[in-house]
Amino acid sequence: MNRRDAMQRVAFLMGGALSAPTMIAMLEGCKSNTATEAATSFALSTDYKTLVAEIAEIILPKTATPGAKDAGVGPFIEMMLKDCYSATQQAHFAKGLDDLEGSSKKVNGGKKFLESTPAEQTALLKTFEAMSNEEAKKNAEAKKIVDAETGLTKDTKGKTEAPPTPFFKLMKELTLLGYFTSEVGAKQALVHVDVPGSYVGCIKMTPGQKAWALS
Amino acid sequence: MNIQGKEKMTYDAIVVGSGISGGWAAKELTEKGLKVLMIERGRDIKHIEGYENAMKNPWDFPHRGNMDSMAKEEYWASVRTGYTGREEHRNMFENDKQNPYLEKRSFDWIRGYHVGGRSLMWGRQSYRWNEKDFTANLEDGHGIDWPIRYKDLAPWYGYVESFIGVSGSKEGLDVLPDGNFQPPMDMNCVEKEFKSTINKKFGGRAVTIGRTAHLTAPTKIQTDLGRGSCQFRNACMRGCPYGGYFSTQSGTLPAANKTGNLTLTTDKIVHQVIFDDEKGKAVGVKAIDQNTKEEYEYFAKIIFLNASSINSSWIMMQSKSKTHPNGLGNESDQLGRNIMDHHLSVGASGTYEGMEDMYYSGRRANGLYIPRFTNWGSDKKRDFVRGFGYQGGASRASWGRGNSMDGFGAAFKDELSNVGPWSMGLGGFGETVPDSNNRFILTDKTDKWGLPVVEFDAAWGENALKMRVTMMNEAAEMLEAAGFKNINPYNNPTPSPGIGIHEMGTARMGRDKKTSVLNANNQVWGASNVFVTDGAAMASASCVNPSLTYMALTARAADFAVKELKKMNL
Repeated sequence: MNRRDAMQRVAFLMGGALSAPTMIAMLEGCKSNTATEAATSFALSTDYKTLVAEIAEIILPKTATPGAKDAGVGPFIEMMLKDCYSATQQAHFAKGLDDLEGSSKKVNGGKKFLESTPAEQTALLKTFEAMSNEEAKKNAEAKKIVDAETGLTKDTKGKTEAPPTPFFKLMKELTLLGYFTSEVGAKQALVHVDVPGSYVGCIKMTPGQKAWALS
Repeated sequence: MNIQGKEKMTYDAIVVGSGISGGWAAKELTEKGLKVLMIERGRDIKHIEGYENAMKNPWDFPHRGNMDSMAKEEYWASVRTGYTGREEHRNMFENDKQNPYLEKRSFDWIRGYHVGGRSLMWGRQSYRWNEKDFTANLEDGHGIDWPIRYKDLAPWYGYVESFIGVSGSKEGLDVLPDGNFQPPMDMNCVEKEFKSTINKKFGGRAVTIGRTAHLTAPTKIQTDLGRGSCQFRNACMRGCPYGGYFSTQSGTLPAANKTGNLTLTTDKIVHQVIFDDEKGKAVGVKAIDQNTKEEYEYFAKIIFLNASSINSSWIMMQSKSKTHPNGLGNESDQLGRNIMDHHLSVGASGTYEGMEDMYYSGRRANGLYIPRFTNWGSDKKRDFVRGFGYQGGASRASWGRGNSMDGFGAAFKDELSNVGPWSMGLGGFGETVPDSNNRFILTDKTDKWGLPVVEFDAAWGENALKMRVTMMNEAAEMLEAAGFKNINPYNNPTPSPGIGIHEMGTARMGRDKKTSVLNANNQVWGASNVFVTDGAAMASASCVNPSLTYMALTARAADFAVKELKKMNL
């Protein structure tokens, strides 16, 4: 079957839906009982449910096409965190929300994130995106050493616990996944075809043509 | 023990397993007039109506395809492949917690216990072996010589291809013999250009479209069975309601049913062949009902073991008698040894600048194929034996690229609606050589049916590890020569044997009972009315996908078996 580098293969099958670190985190089996615990105990507070839904809408706002809220991305993210991620990842994400609120109050005169102006919100999320990129880079460096000659990855997996995906990175990934695989996202922001019936390899694109929802 | 009369439980032939080779055994034997019982250890999955996820959309899956934490615990082996445990088709794969196995050295054992077996989820890539694949062991001294040659199998390849329907392009290559093909699938613009550049810059190196068991122009053989053309949905592993690709359900099972000679029984785990020391042959099999644990015995003149590469040998290991004290046909002690697979997770990818106004339509569950070129023809001297092929393809990025783009907001969102840049990947499939230290054994541990749990002890060999460096570098070189940018060569050593889901070789064919388990006609040494025609029979692995060869071996052995039966030789 469509085979290849395990990660690359998944990336291919999923249309590149999740980043490699996220997939690795998701693919690593949870130890006994932790899965059950993680899946039953996690919940966001009412304030944080709203916060997550609003951040998702800032990432993918309603334009000529529906936005993240229209696609139910907020509840989707909470459900994904609960069902699919380890307790460590859940806690890391929750801490990210705490940090965001803390920073908002600090830099925006005591205002919570959702009390801030759109410009303040955007500025703060940009800061958090930069922090996430920095954190991801460190994680990647710590995780593997590539032998230049053979290309072999000396994976440290198993010796150390895989670091969690940074807060904003996961927030963004789950927003994109939740939106573009939703019915409104797939049918309105992209072009969804149930049964193509054929494969035509070379087609001249029409102006403004959108991408296929599925590959 | 069931109380039905022995007569009621007696057939001309028993086929153990209903996967890609078991289906062929049932079809061939019933069409030749034998009354056949096909025994499947798992549940029934009916064609079309049994494919419960086939027509679902991404938003119909709660986790949009991803594995949840509970599933990751239950399907701990499937987690390793990264795709078999996905939500869309997890129902087609085995729950590893319910069906445990042990690992002295790690092995990924991915199973499908249900009618149709892994023929429902196979990769469908269908390549003939070449002449050298059958002489490689003899020439380089790894393993033992095959007792057959390409010419013995060639007519059976053709026979199988015509029935299952293989789309592909004839290339006239000795390394990848042509078959009876339906029209090839299309390549996209970037792939077409890649093909022509590689051909020019690498001394005629071939790039062809994957040869895949999808119907592109169904023949009467196929339409008579209710099969239609591939619809390019790329949802194959969920089961195809169009019969677009070959499976037991779409092909061999309806063909066998048409004869009126087939009885299919499900949920019966065959664990032993009953060998009669006085008669000097097998007389039947023992099975346990997976739900009631009731024990059954079935009887027949001939038995085909098609339970999978591991499970056919697992049954033989449990089939001890005075004549076969170490397990059926195991005088050589080779039973369970020489496990092979194809090593992968190695190759390169790159991006392409240009052709920005060109796109494609449809979801092609197929890619390009680059046949083996190392240690072939005028190839330079390599530091490994044998070779590898590449599977790959080009496509344009979709919204997923947003994960590695900075930014958010309206412009970011609108950009992700657009068609992204082209990229291409080439992933190697390398041959592994037989090694008797790569094996599995029965342990004292038992599963919930009281049957022995297996323990694997296998690893990639030194030859494979050397080959992989070349696999990575050659892929990168080709992409570079074809003008790709941002080339990312990779060689991921983490996956264990089994990751290719091409496990084979635990009851190899050979020329004598001292070194092999099966003879040239797939008969078990010392039990000539037992035939093993699944992946267990393989004496080497080639680098091409193996299922077509299992089917050809099965059709050939079934033909031989019926002729022998008529001559009263069995």
